[in-house]
Amino acid sequence: MTVASFILLYGISYGLVLCLIAVGLVVTMGLMRVVNLAHGAFAAIGGYLSTGLMAEAGVPLPLAIVAAVAAVALFSLAIERLIFAHLYGASELDQVLLTIGLNFLAIGGLTLAFGPNVYPTRLPSWLAGNVDFGFRAFEVYRLVVIAVGFLVMTALFVVFELTTIGAQLRASVDNRSMAQAAGINVPRLFSLTFVVGSGLAALGGAIGAPMLPLEPTYPFKYLVLVLIIVALSGFGRVKDALGVSILIGIVETAGRYFLPAVSGFLVYALLIVLIIWRRDGLFARSSAS
Amino acid sequence: MGRSPSRIAGLLALGAFVTLGASGGYAQAPVKVGVVGPFTGPFATTGAGFRQGLESYVALHGDKAGGRKIELIYRDSTANPTTAKALAEELLVKDKVSMLGGFMLTPEAAAAAPVVNETKTPLMLYNAATPALLKMSPFFLRMGQNISIPAELGATWSRQQGKSRGYVAVADYAPGHIVESSFIARFEAEGGKIVGKDRIPLNTVDFAPFAERIANANPDVLEVFIPPGAPAVGFIKALAARGLTQKILIIGQGEAEDNDLHLFDDSVLNFHSIIYLAGSLDNPENNALKAVLRQKFGPDAAPSAFTIGAFDGLHVMYKMVENLAGKPFDGDAAVKSVIGYSWKSPRGPVTIHPSRELVQNFYVRRVEKVGGRMQNSVIHTFPSVEPPAIK
Repeated sequence: MTVASFILLYGISYGLVLCLIAVGLVVTMGLMRVVNLAHGAFAAIGGYLSTGLMAEAGVPLPLAIVAAVAAVALFSLAIERLIFAHLYGASELDQVLLTIGLNFLAIGGLTLAFGPNVYPTRLPSWLAGNVDFGFRAFEVYRLVVIAVGFLVMTALFVVFELTTIGAQLRASVDNRSMAQAAGINVPRLFSLTFVVGSGLAALGGAIGAPMLPLEPTYPFKYLVLVLIIVALSGFGRVKDALGVSILIGIVETAGRYFLPAVSGFLVYALLIVLIIWRRDGLFARSSAS
Repeated sequence: MGRSPSRIAGLLALGAFVTLGASGGYAQAPVKVGVVGPFTGPFATTGAGFRQGLESYVALHGDKAGGRKIELIYRDSTANPTTAKALAEELLVKDKVSMLGGFMLTPEAAAAAPVVNETKTPLMLYNAATPALLKMSPFFLRMGQNISIPAELGATWSRQQGKSRGYVAVADYAPGHIVESSFIARFEAEGGKIVGKDRIPLNTVDFAPFAERIANANPDVLEVFIPPGAPAVGFIKALAARGLTQKILIIGQGEAEDNDLHLFDDSVLNFHSIIYLAGSLDNPENNALKAVLRQKFGPDAAPSAFTIGAFDGLHVMYKMVENLAGKPFDGDAAVKSVIGYSWKSPRGPVTIHPSRELVQNFYVRRVEKVGGRMQNSVIHTFPSVEPPAIK
């Protein structure tokens, strides 16, 4: 009971942070087929900014996170207009080379600004304690992460599934030329998605910082996990990204608990099996053809 | 043309003059020392520690030994063994160094072993701690520690504190495995019971599941070995969040050194560690080192294992040059000349053991708040611990 609840709670909170970081890439890759390997850099910058604002300027955590997310979103708009706009239609190799280069730039920039070491994160006192559930105590922080994660993902889901913009997005993911022919401004839609996706990554980096320590190599360190989520979610599926992330969070947590010696590669074994079994995404509808 | 006696005598005199001049010149030519360390990349702080230790030593003791100037040549290995080996070769062949120092990680030193064996070059290991390393070259001298020693002392000390249920959690790589086997062997030999052991994959991000496993096994002492930086911070925070830092005795090695403590929050308080130095040691050598570090590198600079390894490594190099004064530098003779040599290091009294390890003190330290600042306070000293014999 306590072990199961531990694995659920910690697995879900870990998975939700991964989900926030990855979901932007799931959508933008689905929309424009641009492999942005520098996506993790937005999460890193978000984490560094919010932590830095708290530590250096004494800004309260929620405000610091909002400011960091807004700053990263604005920054990503500039990056999208200046760099990514030239990438649409480029070959995958060009995309990979350029975005890996951006990753190195981000790592160099973060080292320059914050030093080569891990950047210390401190939880504010209202988040630091434990809350007692009777059968055992859990960290308040983990519960807050779960609440925020589900809230944000629900909002995203509502926008994606129930609004006109969401419908336009889904249409563009499924068939871009047809959507464009129907009068949808796909490039503008893409800019918007890119900005929202980067902002969400920044949010994930910021609230996940106590869990995923901030260090300059962050953009590469978590890239593999992010790409696993993208691969298993299939193009542009927000809802599936949530399911996949939580699955990965739980598998990683349970793996470390029950099989610590192999926990380092359990998630890769899962990836191999799932990719062979469901190549189009874990929860993809089987295609009619 | 006949050979007149005066002509022969002249030639002999000239020859003698040239020989004398050459040896005289040799005695005054600088001795070059190659320092190979990670000055950039993820281990850049280690490289910075090396440099601070060497520059502090020069600031305190000058740049001359045995009448010869000591010239330091720094090369950046980025902790890559292939690079470290290539740099060792380049330093020996191109720069004509007489001695080498640094080589942070065991694989770096292992890669350089054939090079120094061929050229008979003394090499000071500032940090690399694998027990078997010294068998790879008779020219290696270890200025750090043999990693099995603090693990064994951790077992002995925790048994002395009445702890009987041991748990070992180490990073899943060679040094971690040595810590694991050393601690378990000593702990069981002294009557303790091991209730669990974990090898933590190096790519672990969220350490909470390990803290949960450890807590559920209900140990009263936990031996840990995790690389400093993000992994150590993540692991100790997870242990603290599960209440373990206050509830049980946790013993590490270099996970939370004084100059890394700012990376932690108060949850690191009461973390214990056993290692061969302590920033808080009050002896003239340590105080002098601390003062010069602060003066040269700012108010936050403090001695670390890397600083002291480099500092003492240079001290031994100076001693070698002094011992060989007036003679051309000879690696074999240099190493032999310092076996049994004792001096006062900032870490306490040390002696070079015939196994080329140091006989040195080991300190049990606990992270405490002193005057609002966290530090590792010494709570017990194991004096002059002998290294195990080379098998």
